[in-house]
Amino acid sequence: MRSINQKSLLSVFLLLASPFLRAQEIKLPPDVEKLSSTAKETVEVKMDGPMLRWASKFLSAEDPDEQKAAKLVQSLKSIYVRNFEFDKEGAYSSAEVQTLRSQFSPPEWSRVVGVRSERDGENVDVYFRLENEKMAGIVIISAEPKELTFVNIVGPIEVDQLADLGGEFGIPRLKTKPSSNRVAKVEKGDHK
Amino acid sequence: MNQPNEDMKRIDELMKTALRREEVPSGFAERVLARAEQRPAVTLEPERIPWFHFFSRPLVRWAAFTAVTASLIAGSLHYRNVRREQAKGEAAKQQLMLALHIAGSKLQLARSKVNGIQTSQPRRERETNRSRSKS
Amino acid sequence: MASRPANNQLDSPELGFAEIVRHHQSMVFSIALHFLADRSAAEELAQDVFLQLHRTLPSLKSEDHMKFWLRKVTAHRCIDYQRRRRAPQISLEDAPEPVASTHSADPFLERRVRQLIATLPEKPRMVVILRYQEDMSPEDIAQTLAMPLATVKSHLQRSLAILREKMTRTIGEVLI
Repeated sequence: MRSINQKSLLSVFLLLASPFLRAQEIKLPPDVEKLSSTAKETVEVKMDGPMLRWASKFLSAEDPDEQKAAKLVQSLKSIYVRNFEFDKEGAYSSAEVQTLRSQFSPPEWSRVVGVRSERDGENVDVYFRLENEKMAGIVIISAEPKELTFVNIVGPIEVDQLADLGGEFGIPRLKTKPSSNRVAKVEKGDHK
Repeated sequence: MNQPNEDMKRIDELMKTALRREEVPSGFAERVLARAEQRPAVTLEPERIPWFHFFSRPLVRWAAFTAVTASLIAGSLHYRNVRREQAKGEAAKQQLMLALHIAGSKLQLARSKVNGIQTSQPRRERETNRSRSKS
Repeated sequence: MASRPANNQLDSPELGFAEIVRHHQSMVFSIALHFLADRSAAEELAQDVFLQLHRTLPSLKSEDHMKFWLRKVTAHRCIDYQRRRRAPQISLEDAPEPVASTHSADPFLERRVRQLIATLPEKPRMVVILRYQEDMSPEDIAQTLAMPLATVKSHLQRSLAILREKMTRTIGEVLI
């Protein structure tokens, strides 16, 4: 009897905990997934730990980018990237993106960046997942007028190093005489 | 609505103008030719005594032929497998780099947006915020 | 002046090397100049490319093949040179002044554009140069740089987005 009770308890626990246990298997909502049929180009990259380790063997020690990548991936558990590019604006709705965003809520996820830009329609959200006060994963959702990107990286990731791989454009804030009038005009300007 | 497209067209034109080909420094071709003349275009091999004269004997030739053929077949199979693995590995590596590049560029986008917000605040407001946060 | 072969074939690597240099020197030098933003380094690199061409000429089959080869070798040499030099990222204000065009509509704008391009990382910078200086398609750029097509497009897109943002901030009134 006791063992049955324990088994029942375990089942209940697993059922309740399953959203968290499955946290790492984030799936795109069907509405977002179907965007691949209308997208001009799609990219999907899905790599688990063993695959990452194997692929990183082919990274060149002489290429600085590939060296950075090798360091980044050595303790990652998985990477999932899904990217849609469209010919025209308005190929997806904000509701579809919101459905995607709603998966990443506290306490498991913390939104560290949430930018909405009406000027150019580029919106970016970055979520961190912490375990024992350590980085355990990152999700990036970038919704641009003609592009939608979802990134899920599981494992301890050095965010600055990852950002560097996107391009050390190194273009600093304009310090001198940026002509604040001009900036104000651009900010106010209605481009749509 | 068309403004971003117009902007991109102008940027495109500006990029083409800014990056059009430039005149070389005067005398460039002459300097190249002068340097080329100092180095031979083809390196001549010194004459060597043929070592393969040993293989002019028929039996030796047949034995060598068989051994070489067998090892070539084995080698090429192994080589093909290695090449296949390498090709798969290269493809996986490219996928990995692409994924990291996309992720990194979106983080960069987030960063530039955040920086943009900070810059667009009037200077007084930024200083006020800074002094508030210090206190 | 020796005349170039009328067809696409290279009749003899010996003849017409001078003509080949004169025909392609602007392309090679400009790629190096726009990448390195250093006139003397660009000339040195361009000379090395042609010297290498001189040694390799017998193996090149056609004019197209040679052009592809020149672009590829120049691009890779530029990237290697930059990495060996380990030039630090520079601010816009400190970027070296490239040679000013003497026949441009707005030399200030063009100079700013070149300064901005010079701050891009190596591979995106070369992608942008090949796209706009040589008017190459993304597919050709991918082949030249041995890079996946998606990566080339990603580099182009991000570089242009960043450049656009920076250009409209500094010179918004001029563009908008």
